[in-house]
Amino acid sequence: MSRTDAVTRILFEAFPTAEVRLFYALGYAAIGIFCWGAYVQIRKYRRGAPLTLEGSLWSRASDMVGKVVSHRTVNRRDHAAGGAHRLIFYGFALLFLGTATITLQYDILEPLFGIRFWQGRFYLVFSLVLDLAGIALLGGLLYMMYRRGWMKLPKLDYARTDRALGDPDFLRPEYRREDWAFLWTLVIIGGTGFLLEAARLVWLHARPDVWDTRWWSPVGAAVAEALEALGLTAQGGGVLRVSLWWFHGLVALTFIALIPFTKVKHIFTSAASLMVRDPLAAQRLTRVPAAQEAPGVAKITDFTWKQLLNLDACTKCGRCHEACPAQAVGAPLSPRDVILSLREFANAALESASLPPAAELGVHGKSPGQVAMETLWSCRTCMACVEICPVAVEHVPIIVQMRRKLVEDGAMDPLLTKTLQTIHKTGNSFGESKRKRGSWAKGLPFKVKDARKEAVDVLWFVGDYASFDPRNQKVTQTFATLLHQAGVDFGILYDGESNAGNDVRRVGEEGLYEVLAESNIAALAGATFKSIVTTDPHSYNTILNEYPDFGAKFPIEHYTTLLKKLFAAGQLTVARPLSRRTTFHDPCHLGRFNKGYEAPRELLKLLGCELIDMKRCRDNSFCCGAGGGRIWIPDPVGSDKPAQNRMREAAAIPGLQVYVVSCPKDLTMFEDALKTTGNEGKFVVKELIELVREAVVAPETLAVPA
Amino acid sequence: MKILIAVKQVAALDEDFEIRADGRDVEEEFLIRDLNEWDDYSLEEAVKIKEASNEPVEVVVMSVAPEEADEVLRKCLAKGADRAIRIWDEGMERSDPIAIARILAAAAKAEAPDMLFAGVQSSDQTFAATGIATAAFLGWPHAAVVSSLDYAPGAKSAVFRRELEGGLLQEVEIQCPAVLTIQLGINTPRYASLRSIKQAAAKPVELRTLADLKLSSGEVGESGSHSRIRRMYIPDKGQAQLIEGDAAAKARRLAEIIREFKGDAA
Repeated sequence: MSRTDAVTRILFEAFPTAEVRLFYALGYAAIGIFCWGAYVQIRKYRRGAPLTLEGSLWSRASDMVGKVVSHRTVNRRDHAAGGAHRLIFYGFALLFLGTATITLQYDILEPLFGIRFWQGRFYLVFSLVLDLAGIALLGGLLYMMYRRGWMKLPKLDYARTDRALGDPDFLRPEYRREDWAFLWTLVIIGGTGFLLEAARLVWLHARPDVWDTRWWSPVGAAVAEALEALGLTAQGGGVLRVSLWWFHGLVALTFIALIPFTKVKHIFTSAASLMVRDPLAAQRLTRVPAAQEAPGVAKITDFTWKQLLNLDACTKCGRCHEACPAQAVGAPLSPRDVILSLREFANAALESASLPPAAELGVHGKSPGQVAMETLWSCRTCMACVEICPVAVEHVPIIVQMRRKLVEDGAMDPLLTKTLQTIHKTGNSFGESKRKRGSWAKGLPFKVKDARKEAVDVLWFVGDYASFDPRNQKVTQTFATLLHQAGVDFGILYDGESNAGNDVRRVGEEGLYEVLAESNIAALAGATFKSIVTTDPHSYNTILNEYPDFGAKFPIEHYTTLLKKLFAAGQLTVARPLSRRTTFHDPCHLGRFNKGYEAPRELLKLLGCELIDMKRCRDNSFCCGAGGGRIWIPDPVGSDKPAQNRMREAAAIPGLQVYVVSCPKDLTMFEDALKTTGNEGKFVVKELIELVREAVVAPETLAVPA
Repeated sequence: MKILIAVKQVAALDEDFEIRADGRDVEEEFLIRDLNEWDDYSLEEAVKIKEASNEPVEVVVMSVAPEEADEVLRKCLAKGADRAIRIWDEGMERSDPIAIARILAAAAKAEAPDMLFAGVQSSDQTFAATGIATAAFLGWPHAAVVSSLDYAPGAKSAVFRRELEGGLLQEVEIQCPAVLTIQLGINTPRYASLRSIKQAAAKPVELRTLADLKLSSGEVGESGSHSRIRRMYIPDKGQAQLIEGDAAAKARRLAEIIREFKGDAA
């Protein structure tokens, strides 16, 4: 038997029994407080509305574990913070597992079965691993301190754009204090852990099994050497060890007890939030249950338990705050602050023993914890916040649920009211006669089939903007010409089509959405076709993701994938490569919503265009500002607009010739912003369809029929 | 307490339209039906009074129209009206505003409201007569084009303001019950969500006939009217011609035209 076989750390070595008992008593008390806190939190969530989750618990759990272990979501768009969090997470997890291992032997296996394994080589490797874990933890924490203290990141600034200086919840210094207290507590626990380890080594210097194996705890050993060099004796080490032991232990137990009451609870709430994540949270909004008396959310208890859990999952990392287009242009909305406000409200209202009266639970308004209607109406439902949230907070459904209540109360911009009434009356947002929906097809030299009267291969769902907006009508005619040229058997529904409802639903007018969806579904069901194509990403999203909830599942694609196939099949060929420098704007509803990042880029390549992506592209694409019904609500006079912000980003690309879009609303928004930002003449905004048309036909036949 | 409101389902023209074969109206299929805009404001005014009142107030809308008007009556129910009455009988067809007012007055007598609102005018026919004529049949005080109103349900009088020429405001006190015709802009009509409209679809619309109102067939329809529409048509448009060519050619052509008009073309 070698000398190291018996090496271990004797727990409570030289502690009087009374002190051991005291420690256990404190430990149980800490666990008791933790359990009470956990109960209070769970009771809070259970006060929300019921919700049944789809999918198996098992796949949800494995998905969550995958994300937590890989830290994939925490690492996105901020690798430094992601890396530091990884160090903290792995360090903390290993230290926790280490403690659990000791408990397993000391409190369970040894007293019950006499099994001892925490000794010898295992113990030494264990010591080394935990020392490394401690270093990782401290390293991560120190970086986080540097980040909060010195980097002055805007996303970590808690000042709110939806409140004014002087409002009680404008600056929220308590958040800052809590952040620092959290960091310092962990640093103190980690730091005293190493000191304690060193003090024990000095104390037991005379015992060869301890001292000779000290370098298996490299940090502890180095500190011990330093303490001895400073003159610490074995006896002094013993005294230091006892006081540090208690200090370290008490801080750690306090930390455990406080977990449910502080931001530390994100360890549990963020993981749970990831587990109950809805992968289509923003793409497919939920229906208003038939039994529900009033639509939307008026009171905090109208949120589902899952949404209340979402509120607690937020770690204030600020990534949504940074990604939000409304926030970027100074609108009074930060997705982070919507979540934090509601969380403050939930904590104040739902953690007490009895539920306050309904009158005190209203979440709409301007008091602390409430959300103002200006904030809710600033949202573009572009999904940038939901998409980037590392812990699966689903902001957009929360905002839309609150808007449903505003719509029911008529608390909205008068122009939006008018538009909704217009859509109800005419089926389109332009207030045009239903009959004129297919008028753009009249000017074409060929007939566009009426899919209500004859069978077609491809049914083209045109959408409002592409049907009625004069500039977009040209693109619509061009796309029809391309389909005709490629020999595609296609048709449209003419006045059988209505606004698809995507944006009406995101405004929060669910009743009108139901009318539109049911009308379109009936029209589509009455037609014979193999698949649907649309040039409108908004229609695409709602038909693809939301019509199925109304019992209608249609195969649908965005035009970019159809065109790609037509090129691949040789039905379209590039006759005149376009060697232009382009950048591509990912439409929210095509890109972020439905991951259609590649087809438009492949098409541009096929046309011979040079593509230079903007920094904010693909999943981080920057909304044009038109989503969520915002195209029907005027921006405040003199304010910056998301589309203008985007144009300035594009203008920074040297030698840019074409800003390529693939969404009718984008074309409208950006052509306007091109002018208002003074970039007219420097580059142009074009629909990808227009570039395709230019490339596939000889120049003399280019003129679009009037 | 009760406020009664006369409302109308009006017709708006679609993009292209055709005149009916008898030449007296537009072909039905080219009309888009909706609640008269003025009535939206008078209903809102009544609902606001109801909401601000501590006393229970009943808001009742009524319309002289065939069954298709139920849609706008239900819209009124969605916006806060408590009851809706539709008055119709075959013989009421082709009633002029005076005959309509006679019918409304009869219905109002039966309902005995504390106040009766009507819109200043209807957006499709624009007679601006119905409300005031109803007051005449009832023998009630009346005022037209009310742009602001202070009225507590059950009060003996109400104070309202009217906008006059030159930016003048006239403040008037009126004895109740009275008939007021309400002007646009007096308030901001609320949005009726589709959900509330759907819910209102389940509510009943009460029907009243000639017999219910104790009116004879001679008092309504064409025989009860003092005027009738002879025809509806689009007048011939004036003609414009674009003169093309260079400055000299344009001047020459212009001179020619002037001469033609003077009659010395030859």
